[in-house]
Amino acid sequence: MKIGKQARRDAKDLFLACRREEILDSNRVRQTVTQVLAAKPRNYLAVLSHFQRLIQIEIEAHTVRIENSVPTSDALMAELKASLTRRYGPGLEFEFHVDPSLIGGLRIQIGSDVYDGTVKSRLTALESSF
Amino acid sequence: MSPLLIFAAADAGPIGQIAKTFGANVPALIANTISFVLVALVLKKWAIGPIQATLEERRKTIALGLSNAAQAKSELAGAQQKSQELLVATGLQTTRIIEEARVAAAKLTEVEIQRAVTAAADIIAKAKQANEAELNRMRLELRKEVGRLVVAASVQVTGKMLTAEDRQRLAQETQQQFSA
Repeated sequence: MKIGKQARRDAKDLFLACRREEILDSNRVRQTVTQVLAAKPRNYLAVLSHFQRLIQIEIEAHTVRIENSVPTSDALMAELKASLTRRYGPGLEFEFHVDPSLIGGLRIQIGSDVYDGTVKSRLTALESSF
Repeated sequence: MSPLLIFAAADAGPIGQIAKTFGANVPALIANTISFVLVALVLKKWAIGPIQATLEERRKTIALGLSNAAQAKSELAGAQQKSQELLVATGLQTTRIIEEARVAAAKLTEVEIQRAVTAAADIIAKAKQANEAELNRMRLELRKEVGRLVVAASVQVTGKMLTAEDRQRLAQETQQQFSA
């Protein structure tokens, strides 16, 4: 679908209107989409398509994926949340996963930022150094 | 007058007796003499003359033949000498050509030998280079394989050795490094 400049501008305005104190409000997003679908303005599909893309980027930028070789303890979860919120600001969504193949350590991914402190990544680096 | 007639005319002595004994007759003697002269003239005119001319001609022919033979012999000798000189000159020229050909062949052989040596050196260098590249490739592959095996062994050993507490501790250390 071809998205014009006006549709991009409208989608961006809608996206900015859905933020509250730099944090995306999911309720506002739902309301906005419902209203747009009810009103069906000109090029509303293109606007919603670009709006969806902006929402996806925002969600990915504020979603923290933490992988551990063992289930993460509550204390460690709290420490991680605190330190990540200090660094990236509020409004983060945390996902904790268990992956035994990591052997040890943590792998933290926020948007396009990745911090890999796992034993597996070190061994992989060691293998590539040969 | 012949001496016998003179002796007969003398009519005395032993000569006259001998003439009588042998029946010497002057007219017959004169006739015989004339006949002899006539026969001699005829023979000279028609028999001896042509024969002598023929003999002379033959002599001349023989002399000419001998002269021709001598000339031919001389020419043959000259030709032999020339051919000998020509043979000598040809021999010298042949020797010179052979020597030149030998020198040229030696030069060509030297050039070909040098070319062959160069080609062999190139081939050896290329083979050495290819061998070196192959050796390096095998070393690299071996190194990678060793690394892969080391890492695989490390993964197996580490995965078995680490307890849950160790893993929690590692996660805690990672969190501390991230926070720092």
